Amino acid sequence: MFDFMRNKVVDVARLDPETLEVHGILDDSIYSLELDFKVNISDLICSGVKGRWLRWTTPECPRAIDFLNEAEGFCLEAGIDNKIHKTIGRRSCRHFANLFIECAYAVRETIKLLGWQEAQREHPDLTFKQFILNDEKGPVAQPSVVVESHKEVPSPVSGAAGDTGAAGAARGAGDTRGAGGDAASAKPPVGVESPTTSRKSHPGPGNFIIDMHLHTSPASPCASDSVYAMIEEAKRIGLQGICLTDHNYVWSADAVLALREKHDFLVLRANEIITEQGDILVFGFDEDIQGIIKLVELKKRVAAVGGFIVAAHPFRGFLTFGADDVGLTPESAMAREMFKWVDGVETLNGKVTETENKLSLDVAKGLGLPSTGGSDAHDISTVGVYATAFDEIIDGEKALLAALKAGKYHPVVFR
Amino acid sequence: MSNNILKFAMNRNTSVEKINGSNLRSVCRLRDTLTDAEVVIEVKMPDMAICAISGHFRHAYFGEIEDLDQRLQAVIGVRVAAGMLKIIKGLMGEEEEIQQIVYMVEECCHGVILALTRKVLLKAPDDEAGKFSFYSNMVQKSIRLYDRCAAFAKGTPLVAELESEKAKEGCDV
Repeated sequence: MFDFMRNKVVDVARLDPETLEVHGILDDSIYSLELDFKVNISDLICSGVKGRWLRWTTPECPRAIDFLNEAEGFCLEAGIDNKIHKTIGRRSCRHFANLFIECAYAVRETIKLLGWQEAQREHPDLTFKQFILNDEKGPVAQPSVVVESHKEVPSPVSGAAGDTGAAGAARGAGDTRGAGGDAASAKPPVGVESPTTSRKSHPGPGNFIIDMHLHTSPASPCASDSVYAMIEEAKRIGLQGICLTDHNYVWSADAVLALREKHDFLVLRANEIITEQGDILVFGFDEDIQGIIKLVELKKRVAAVGGFIVAAHPFRGFLTFGADDVGLTPESAMAREMFKWVDGVETLNGKVTETENKLSLDVAKGLGLPSTGGSDAHDISTVGVYATAFDEIIDGEKALLAALKAGKYHPVVFR
Repeated sequence: MSNNILKFAMNRNTSVEKINGSNLRSVCRLRDTLTDAEVVIEVKMPDMAICAISGHFRHAYFGEIEDLDQRLQAVIGVRVAAGMLKIIKGLMGEEEEIQQIVYMVEECCHGVILALTRKVLLKAPDDEAGKFSFYSNMVQKSIRLYDRCAAFAKGTPLVAELESEKAKEGCDV
């Protein structure tokens, strides 16, 4: 017996020499909806987007129809999926977005067919496959994306350290490594004695609080606030420091040193790297990893340089259910492969539920792994919701690494 | 009228069933004017890790993908979890010919998620007031839902209680 079934049907007809007419249906065990729109053949621009619910769940789902017109004027070329997810998916409904993506695919396939039919006028024996392979718009084999990279990748943001612009403070790999940055800094520990208002207690042993997980723009494409804004917010709320854990992004030591000096605040370098086991926070490791890396390999490389890795939000669930809903217990969760390789577990993360954080904590305790806390903030509003309280004052990355390995810290609710 | 004759038609079916006690099998089948393909994944519960996978094209205009099975096997062990899509894409590759199979792997995973979502949603009361309360509580319990779609957008009735509580606490949602 099937627990769930989904059917999607998309039809494309040619309304006139310039226009395609698209009709899509998504019908599954939970939802049923339809989409209709027209597409201009010459430029793939869609218009007249109309949708209809037949079955939905929440009383407010019908609101989604009002936002389908966000797709007016979309060009349905390859690569449009992300835009559809971010606009229709977020403002209207993810299921309408899913159907719209299918419709866009059907339109592009139709265009190929029409092109072939046109080409057959001159070459009646031309097969579709031949047409696709000969056509400059047909699929062209691209080199495989390197799954892990040892090469230095140019930073998406250029500029010298010390620049005042948001772009200036971020730089890719290749710059001076971490230890140099610490040695070069002769400044005393940075505390909360800053010009900005602080709300929390003074730093000291057992109370040196760092937000160990946050993202900044533009280093993390998903973040919306600059590193400057995030630092100032961290200062304002009374944190003693932050770790920059942008996605697969290596901050240069010079850039971070410049940030510390400019803001008179402890800013530490780290990274959030994607592995096949999930996201990992990495401390004390400067290699620029792009794409996916096997956790075993990451562990090997980080250990070789004396770094420290933490499982980030290991039990992040879904929109409507979490680990507890599927019967995942701490005991079964502890058996996960990833926990053989990580040095610590993030047990307070600002983007997951209390239940998911509790499961992380139970697993960490069960395995005897240390716990960290971090906001996972992508904008200033959630900086410091959770953080990590260190027993000793941290004055740089060496001290951070030493403290992480010594286990002298615990996650805290801060903001 | 010739414009009633379709230029292109597509059917995509995804189905999820329990097998071997608690594991889930999710199958995605695509049949359209140009392509006929199938992907099957098995997901080990409760950890939701992909423990088996297979896939093939019956018809595809771009020719055979020689290492298709190898690419599919690369996602063994990946969990159906938040963030899985970037992992699957990263492991399977980015060439145009493989993208349909990548999408079908994702559809299989989404099928698993929706099968489990269905179980949660079956608990919603039938009456309108009860339904409202159910979904209002859901967004309070799972903040990820907030502002993720029109139904749970800022300022809408289902999130009113959540926003009110956060306002009292003096913080943004």
